[in-house]
Amino acid sequence: MATDRCKDFLGRLDSWIAGERPAEAKAHFRDCASCQAVVEDLNAIQIEARSWRQLESEAPERVWTALRAQLEQEGLIRAEQPEREAAPVASSLADWLSAVFARIPRPALAGAYLSILVALGFALSGPVNQPSNEAKWLEGTRVVSSPISAQLDNFEQNTSLANRDRNPAITASLHQNLAIVDNYISLCEKSVQEEPENEVARDYLYSAYKQKADLLAQIGERGENVQ
Amino acid sequence: MSTGYLVLTRSKLKRQLKKQLKTAGALAVPGLLLCSAVSAGPIRHEEHFKVAAHPIITIHNPEGLITVKAWTKAEVMVISMPASNAVEVDSEQMGNRVDVTTRALSDSVSPSDMKADFQINVPEDAELQIHNDAGSVTVSNVTGDMNVETVAAGVDLEDTSGYLTVKTVGGSFQCLRCAGRIEVSSITGSFKLIDLKSTRVWAQTSSGNILFNGQFLPNGTYSLKNYSGIIEVRFSPADSFDMSATSLKGKVNNEAKLTPSTHEHHFMPRWGNALFGTFNQGRAKVELTSFDGTINILKRD
Repeated sequence: MATDRCKDFLGRLDSWIAGERPAEAKAHFRDCASCQAVVEDLNAIQIEARSWRQLESEAPERVWTALRAQLEQEGLIRAEQPEREAAPVASSLADWLSAVFARIPRPALAGAYLSILVALGFALSGPVNQPSNEAKWLEGTRVVSSPISAQLDNFEQNTSLANRDRNPAITASLHQNLAIVDNYISLCEKSVQEEPENEVARDYLYSAYKQKADLLAQIGERGENVQ
Repeated sequence: MSTGYLVLTRSKLKRQLKKQLKTAGALAVPGLLLCSAVSAGPIRHEEHFKVAAHPIITIHNPEGLITVKAWTKAEVMVISMPASNAVEVDSEQMGNRVDVTTRALSDSVSPSDMKADFQINVPEDAELQIHNDAGSVTVSNVTGDMNVETVAAGVDLEDTSGYLTVKTVGGSFQCLRCAGRIEVSSITGSFKLIDLKSTRVWAQTSSGNILFNGQFLPNGTYSLKNYSGIIEVRFSPADSFDMSATSLKGKVNNEAKLTPSTHEHHFMPRWGNALFGTFNQGRAKVELTSFDGTINILKRD
């Protein structure tokens, strides 16, 4: 199981990938094989992501295996049954995400899972200030954000709070706030479309996705508790 | 397995006993009950729990006013006032932990009945975990770690320290003379951080305003972020900080005389309205970020 230090480190993975490496994080990273493996895998994904056109087919199997192991270690998904281990590795990022998402046991955990996705998305978006042309940035952002957006939409459709929560005022408040976050996502998407290389806009977009994931997880958990 | 069963049974028994006592009381003194129904005020219930150092107190309440204060006694006092007879408050001690939970007594409880107010006294070093959807949460003089989650309830902390994590959906947050480490997030809630003595502050809201009027301590990091709304930071001439302020589509107004930063920034956006610089020796790190809101860096009055 991951320690609290691991959780703290992984929770700030986006900063680490972006180059912000405080002394305590460095010390933990130096001594923790588990976190080293996650960073190594994210670096591998980043390298893969740079060749965007090939991403769908060429992400190495060990990346998916390592990420699956990490999600299992965090308790976000259950270990696969032996007969399923022989199943072929998902052929695309979206397929793999869908397969993992289907195994998430509880909506609350799905929020944490989606947070990992958002962190992963940030990692995939490449290092800041990396020179590249607009089309590549736009395509890169699309490849990363589309599966996240689709998963969030899917999660939202499956989260039917209205019939389950006791307090209509709280229900209304949650939905109102969800609409506000959706509006920010639209604004950020528009901003990213206009300026694909704008890392601040992209950071806000992923941050808004994460906020939506957290909010949907909260809504899902409420429904679950009421049942 | 057997412990869980026993706990469940004890809890059930406790509830049944309470119901039986209520029924017995109703049969024995109907006149008195009638009087109490006519003068229907909240039902006040007081419980005391002896605790050791660093106790943990968890409170789970759907709606109501929760007031927590520190005192010098090594005990926890819970005064609960459920809004109606349709709900009950369970306070249970498990070792050095006290759990306070508001429960509905049936499935048909109306939202207006599903409420309880609390006045709780705890030792100064208590750790608090509070969940309250609506109403308010007020905590003062508690130095232990604290986690508060609400939907619409506002959160007011005063003279607290420790590691504070506050998460609201629409509730506002105010922290007066807080120390330690603060992490607060919301979607539409506004934050007021007044006279802080924290070394690490991380605050993020979507459409809320953020006011920071406190000390920038040496080696402290202060990160304030929103989408829209106003971020206002007040500084005094003696403060020492390295400032990074960016509003992608809004304005940055600055009254601080910043010198070009000697420190390396890993993140130097070329986008929006941004300013970077050092004030005095640049001992603290301040990062202000907004999507389309306004950032004001103003002199303290």
